[in-house]
Formats: sequence, structure tokens, C-alpha cells
Amino acid sequence: MDQHRPRRILLVDDDQSLLVVLSEQLSDDGYEVATARDGQEALRRLEAGWPDLILLDLMMPRVDGLALARQIKADADLPIIVLSAIDTADSKARLLDEVAEDYVAKPYHYPELRARIQRVLLRLGDRIPRQSLVLGPNLTLDLYRRAATVCGTEVQLTPTESRLLGALAANLGEIVATETLLARGWADTEEAGPSYVWVSMRRLRQKIEVDPDRPVHVLTVRGVGYRLVASREDG
Amino acid sequence: MAEPTTDPDAADPPRTPALEAPDAPDAPEAPDAPSFEPEPAPASPAPAPPAPPRGYGIGLSFRVLLTAGLIVAAVLPLAAFGGIVVAARLYSDSRIVGPLLIASIVAAAFFGLLAAAVAVAALTAPLRRITTAVERVAAGEPSPPIHLTGDDELARLAESHNRIAAEAARRNRELGALLEAIAGYNPAGGVEALNSRAESDACAIFSLIDCRLRLVDPATVPTEEDIPGDPRPMRADVRAGSDTLGVLTGHLPATRAWERADQDLLDLFASEVGVALRNAELFGQIESQNARLLELDAAKDEFLRGISHNLQTPLTSIRAYVDQLRASSDKAGRDRRLQIVAEQADRLTRLVRQLLTVTRLEAGVLRPDVEVIAVGLRVRRAWEALNAGDVAFELRDEARGWLAVADPDQLDQVLWALLDNAVKYGGRDGKVEVEIRSDDASGRLHVTIADHGPGISDPDRARLFARFTRGAAQASGDGTGLGLYVSRQLLRTMGGELRLEPAREGLGAAFTLSLPGEPPGDEG
Repeated sequence: MDQHRPRRILLVDDDQSLLVVLSEQLSDDGYEVATARDGQEALRRLEAGWPDLILLDLMMPRVDGLALARQIKADADLPIIVLSAIDTADSKARLLDEVAEDYVAKPYHYPELRARIQRVLLRLGDRIPRQSLVLGPNLTLDLYRRAATVCGTEVQLTPTESRLLGALAANLGEIVATETLLARGWADTEEAGPSYVWVSMRRLRQKIEVDPDRPVHVLTVRGVGYRLVASREDG
Repeated sequence: MAEPTTDPDAADPPRTPALEAPDAPDAPEAPDAPSFEPEPAPASPAPAPPAPPRGYGIGLSFRVLLTAGLIVAAVLPLAAFGGIVVAARLYSDSRIVGPLLIASIVAAAFFGLLAAAVAVAALTAPLRRITTAVERVAAGEPSPPIHLTGDDELARLAESHNRIAAEAARRNRELGALLEAIAGYNPAGGVEALNSRAESDACAIFSLIDCRLRLVDPATVPTEEDIPGDPRPMRADVRAGSDTLGVLTGHLPATRAWERADQDLLDLFASEVGVALRNAELFGQIESQNARLLELDAAKDEFLRGISHNLQTPLTSIRAYVDQLRASSDKAGRDRRLQIVAEQADRLTRLVRQLLTVTRLEAGVLRPDVEVIAVGLRVRRAWEALNAGDVAFELRDEARGWLAVADPDQLDQVLWALLDNAVKYGGRDGKVEVEIRSDDASGRLHVTIADHGPGISDPDRARLFARFTRGAAQASGDGTGLGLYVSRQLLRTMGGELRLEPAREGLGAAFTLSLPGEPPGDEG
């Protein structure tokens, strides 16, 4: 992708005053911003041209944000960040996993929002696959719904775990550097350090490896990073 | 004795009426009691004394048999004796007359006694059967009907026993059906369903032609006249305790007997129905109250959600504009007033979020997305966000390298609430101390947040974690009064806990939160 072309963001929110200030903030950071006040306007804008990313309020009048997100995902697999007063604790939030790459609770902190936008855009190359990924007789990943099936039993993955696995799965069999995983897994890399990756990978093994002490899928490359491999072994 | 006998002996025509064995007097009802051919073998075809175990093959009444038996026992030996005397006269041989007379007297006495014993045993058999049957009925056991032939006193006695036993058995069946019906009454079904079920149950249990249960004052339902030949009216008041709820009326077939015991049974049924109806009424009231409360609760949650959203929308704009203003010029960036606007907007945001969290905790929809987090950094950031510049702050991290396993947003809410409390109640020039420790054995992290304020009074300690409570001294303080409640609940959903440390001399309130933790990780 052309690194010099400014990234385009479509901002969809029913609060006019927020549209103004947020589009100014994003423009100041070099993004090309288009705005829409409701779902219908958003769909008209999409007909004119696809942005690189959509920033969407979930509670919009006319077209419900969730319905809009589903419609967009059905037409074109554009990355979506949901910006909403609904936080991750809400029952509705589960549904977001299907359609949204990330979500930010309102009121947002702009630096955090910007970090998440950057992270999602960075991941454009390794978008979460929409199908199941079978890695062996005992492990299947369904990252789009944040789940893994280990020996026939489904386990839920946290957003971070599924992001880490997504980054590893996009480079299946290849080494992914710890720094890369840190950047993909955590928006705020000022706070997070390599030990976040180490501990998270250890916890991930507890979840998805049959024998966490003898991993067959999530392998450590000492001093460099990690590899995700398909394995016929039973583990 | 109208019923035909079904006795197997009776169905066996070649067998002559068998005598009851005299040596088996204790088994009068035994159907297979041994029988033998009449031993005294009187040549006369006079009927033998009676009593096959059950019923008679030939229809002779007790009275006839008694008479016949007595005659056999008294007259036959006498006749035989007379015959021998006549024979002795004819031969008039004095040598043999003496011994022959003695022998014949002995023989006559022997046969007489034997015949009497057999007759008595056979005749008392039906009496014994009646006695046994009456005893069984008196003991509450079912008794098979006794079949005696004839129309004498004993047959009538047996018949009346049979009637009493049949009625007792019928009432027993009715009582069983009644208890079964009552046990099946479910208050959740509602009064109307129960009402119609009680009506059909009453018809089934008491074999009524029709039945109606009216929940009205019994005085308003006129008593029907009992006209012989017409279906017989019956009624019972439906009561629950001292209240009369209604009246049960119905009709019996004209031929059915209806006695005191039957009325008692009906009254029992009616009162049990009354209790069940009262339960159903109460249940219905509780149900509807419950539904109303649930509605109100849902409305309250909906209201809180709506208002939170409506509050958050302008707050988002305010916060965004302040950020933009402060970023746009150096002068504005240093403006203390803009800083205060930003802080107060954040504060409002947190309070609104706290309200929302309560509704979610109560709806049980809160589910943490746990991540690994460095708690020390998180505490410091929460402290900085609080911006209590003039309050001293000390953070001692004894668990370096450890990461907590928690939902970052929820942990922030907890830390903010506890630090905010420490500043609010710790006195303006107090000092807030935070200590982080790890417990290797349990794999948990403990964070203690302490202030140097007046501490918490004993009465307050007990209700500190309840909703909408504050320390009495700060009754008029700001905040939602939800901080500690929300914090503890949030921690619990993450597998953690929040507790108040015991009061210590020279120290204010101290709270310790604990969370699952991960020891320092190394690569691999």
C-alpha cells in the first residue's frame, strides 16, 4: 500500500459537535476525514469511494450502528472501529466482535483513539481471517469470534490474545518479533513492555496447548520472538 | 347371598359337600382346607354338616344346617342304640346281651360325640369368618365379601358386614384420590385453573353427576331440597382458616348413599381446596408484584442507560474541544482554567460510568476482558489523572515484574474510586500511600491504598460496601456513594476481592484489593 497517500477515515456519528472537533483532530494528524451524521449518509459516502477505516458510533438514529456495520462488512471488508458510549462490559459489545476490529468508549482520550487507529491501519495487511484456521488435530482458531477449539472444547480468547494470534497466524510458520507482537497487541506501548508479550504468550499456551510445557503450536524463538505452526502432533 | 359363588369347590360337581376338617378350626377361610368324606357314614342321605371354606355348593342356610346337624348328632346314635336293644331282645342270649349293650352304648356315645364335634366345627366356621372379617375392617384393612347362603340371621349379618366393608373401602379409595388430587394442586396455575380442576376432581372422587365451585358467600347460594328419586343435592363450604371463600355444590345419583362420613370427606376436600385457592391467590399477587418490580427495575436501568448516554455525548464534545484548544497554542496549553475544565469533565465521566456499572452489575451482564497489566504503572496513571497536586503520594512496588490479570478499564475504575476516596477523606494535607505486594504461593497481587485521615468509625465499617452509603461524617459529601460497592463487585467479577484493613493507630482508612497475578515472565 502506498505509504505516502494520506489514510482516509470515514467518521460516522450523530453528534454534530463531535464530528467537527474529531475531524479537526484527525486532520491535524494527517488523515483525510469524511463525515456522516447517520447510517444512510454513511452508505451514500461509501458509494462514492471506500475509506481505509470507518469510525462508527453504535447508537445512531435511523440505521442502527450495528446494522450499518454488518452491511458494510457484507459489502466490503473495511476495518471498523466502534466509538460508543457502550463500553466493553455491555452485552451488546459481544456482537461487536463480529463486525468491529476495535472499540473505544466515549468519552474517548484522543491519544488513545489515535493509537488504536494506527494499530488497526497497521494490521491492514494481516486482517483477522473470517474462516476457521485448522492448525492440527487438537487446535482450531476462529479469531473473528475470538474463540479457539482445543481438543473439541471451545475456549474464549481475550481481545489481546486474538490480536496476538492474528498477527502470528498472518505469518504462519514464520517468526514474528516480540516488538511486533507488542505493537499489534497493545495500543499503548508506552506502558506495555516485552514482559506483557511473554506473560500473555505463557497464558495463551495454557489455554490452547494440550501440554503447555511441550508446546506444539506456539513456539518461542529465544531472543527474537514467536512462531505459530500447524502441527499434526497430538501435543 | 344374591351373588353366585365363584368358589372352585362349588364348581366341582362330583364332589359331595365337604366337611370342614375338625382339626383345622383356625383356618376357616383357607380356600384349600382339607376335606374328607363324611366319616360317621350314617347311611341316611341326610345332609352332611356344612361348610366348605367359602360359599356353599348347594343353597342351604345356616339355620337349616344347624337343625339338620343337631338331628344327626342326637338322633342317629339314639336310633342305633335302639336298634341294638331290639336286636338283643330278639336273640335274648344273656351271655352276649350284657357286653353287646355296653359296646353299643360306647359306640353310640362315640358316634354322638364325633357327630357333635363335626357339626359344631362346621357350624362355627361361618361365624369365625364373619368375626375375622369384622376384625379386619375394624383394623382398617380391606376385607373380601363373605358369601353365605340363605336368608337367616347369619346371612343378613354377613350381608350387612359386606356392605359396611364395601363402603369403608369406597371411602378409602375416595380419600386416596382426594389426597392425590390435593397434592397435585399447583398455586402457580392460577385461581381459575384451580377452580375448574377442583370441580372435575370432586366429580371424579365422589362420583357426582355435576359439581360447581363458586367463590361467593355461601349464604347467597340457596340450599336445594332433597326430593326422593331425584339426584341428591350436596354442598360444602370452601374455607381457608377462618375465611369462607366460597361454596361447592353438586348432585349425587339418587341411588347413592350419602352418610355423615361422606359429608366429612367432602368437607375435608372443600377445606383443602380452600387452602389451595388461598395459596394460588397469594401466589398470583406475588407474581404480579414481582412482574411489576421487574418492570420498574428494567425501566430504571433503561433510564440510567439513556441518561448516561445523553450525559456522555456532551461530555465527549467538551473533552475533545478542551484537548484541541490546549493543543492549538502553547499559551492555552498552560492555561490552568482549561486544565480544570478537562479534569472536571473527566470526573463527571467517571461518575456517569459508575452509575452505568451499577446497572450492569445488577443485570449480571458485566463480563471482564482480562489482560495482563503492570499495576504500578496503572496506579501512577490513575493518581496523575486525579490531579491532587497538593496531596503527597507514595507508591511502594514490592512486586516488580509481576503483572496483574484484570480488565484494564474496570481496574482503572476501581483505582480511581479508591484513590479519590483517599484524597477526599484523608484530609487536604494528608498523604496517600500505596503498596503493591505479591503472594507467590497463591499467585495473587495485593494493593493497599491508605490515607492518614480520621479513619472509619465502627458503625460505618459494617455498611461501607453497601450501595449508596457514605461515612456518616461525610453524609453531605459529593460522589455517588457507589464507589466502594462498585469497586468490590468489579473486583469480584475479575476473581479479585476488596477489603477494609483493621483500624490502626496513627493511620487513616486502608483498603486492600487483591487480584490474580502472573509472576515475572521470561521469554519462552
